[in-house]
Amino acid sequence: MAEVTVYTTPTCPWCQKLKDFLHDEGIPFTEINVAEDPEKAREMMDKTGQRGVPVTTIGDQVVIGYDPEALRELIQ
Amino acid sequence: MNSPERTDLYDLVIIGAGPAGMTAAVYAARKGLQVLVISKDIGGQVNWTTLVENYMGFEEIQGPRLMEKFREQMQSEKVIYREDEVSQVQVQRQQGAGRVFAVTGRKSGTRYGRAVIIATGKRPRSLGVPGEEKFRGKGVSFCSTCDAPLFRDAVVAVVGGGNSGAQAAIDLLAVNARQVYLITEFDLTADQVLLDRILKDERVEVYRYHQVKEITGDRMVQGLRVVNRSGETRDLAVDGVFIEIGLEPNTEFLDILDKSAHGEVLVDCQCRTNIKGIFAAGDATIIPEKQIIIAAGEGAKAAIQAWKYLMGQRPAAVEAEGSQVPAGI
Repeated sequence: MAEVTVYTTPTCPWCQKLKDFLHDEGIPFTEINVAEDPEKAREMMDKTGQRGVPVTTIGDQVVIGYDPEALRELIQ
Repeated sequence: MNSPERTDLYDLVIIGAGPAGMTAAVYAARKGLQVLVISKDIGGQVNWTTLVENYMGFEEIQGPRLMEKFREQMQSEKVIYREDEVSQVQVQRQQGAGRVFAVTGRKSGTRYGRAVIIATGKRPRSLGVPGEEKFRGKGVSFCSTCDAPLFRDAVVAVVGGGNSGAQAAIDLLAVNARQVYLITEFDLTADQVLLDRILKDERVEVYRYHQVKEITGDRMVQGLRVVNRSGETRDLAVDGVFIEIGLEPNTEFLDILDKSAHGEVLVDCQCRTNIKGIFAAGDATIIPEKQIIIAAGEGAKAAIQAWKYLMGQRPAAVEAEGSQVPAGI
């Protein structure tokens, strides 16, 4: 399975919902807190074209926001 | 109550699954009604709320977690849930007890209810200017709590002079945004305590009586065009635009209901709309104060009223109950 990375900020309710979803589905992921790490924030923007969270990357695929259907489809 | 041969007919169809809709579903199911809930999501606006500190029983709880608890409680009852956006509600038959409402979803087609509760809530109001949709998530944000940390050292415009606009400016100043333009169509209306925190900050520049005309950029937001009341335009170079101009009700599809000038469904104190058999609750209605606990309470009320309607009880019966209070009390 491709590596799953979730870009978050600690104050973002949708990020929490997304992480809960991945936990419930038993999908392992790496969380990157872009509020703490400006370099990672820049990386997220360059890689995904997004300046908003949550953003999930699955290999080279990008899922914007909390979109369980898209996540399930790409992860399976 | 329902006849078993028709599987697409429910006693009650609830549109929306925020605090009002889910509470209504629990109350209605516990009354023995066959309940269908149709909603485009679970939790609605509460999902945008980081911390809830005024819902009784929970000293503090994350908004999405609270809605998860609502969902669990709703689904522990015999409630059928369909994820879909409703595009139309129609009165199908008008004669006597045969009145049925047709509720049409964009994906799942039409289902029928003997009664309906509207609990569709509100969504953040958008500006409706060129560039707003194109750059959503690419510099345009409706959630300063979520996205402010991505604008460290950036030049950002906040549109909206109310409390949410002021709070967005505070969030951005806290993450060390380089400059914050606060743009408001009228004067600032935020609470003084919030304004005191931002107006003394030299990074803040206020544009009163300015309207946003366009959000510009290439891949990401790069600029904002505003116009003042004399018609003079000004282009501001910005990295981000936070839109905080209030909320609007999700009621456009309800053309059969009477609504206020702001689009809120008109209801009486028993959650009744202008159409017998259609009830409404929560933020989508004219009921004042948009709070989770109030929406939940209104949802409960709407469900009990819908049940009474279905049982053929007239609202006058409620008043009669009240009049049985012994004299002298």
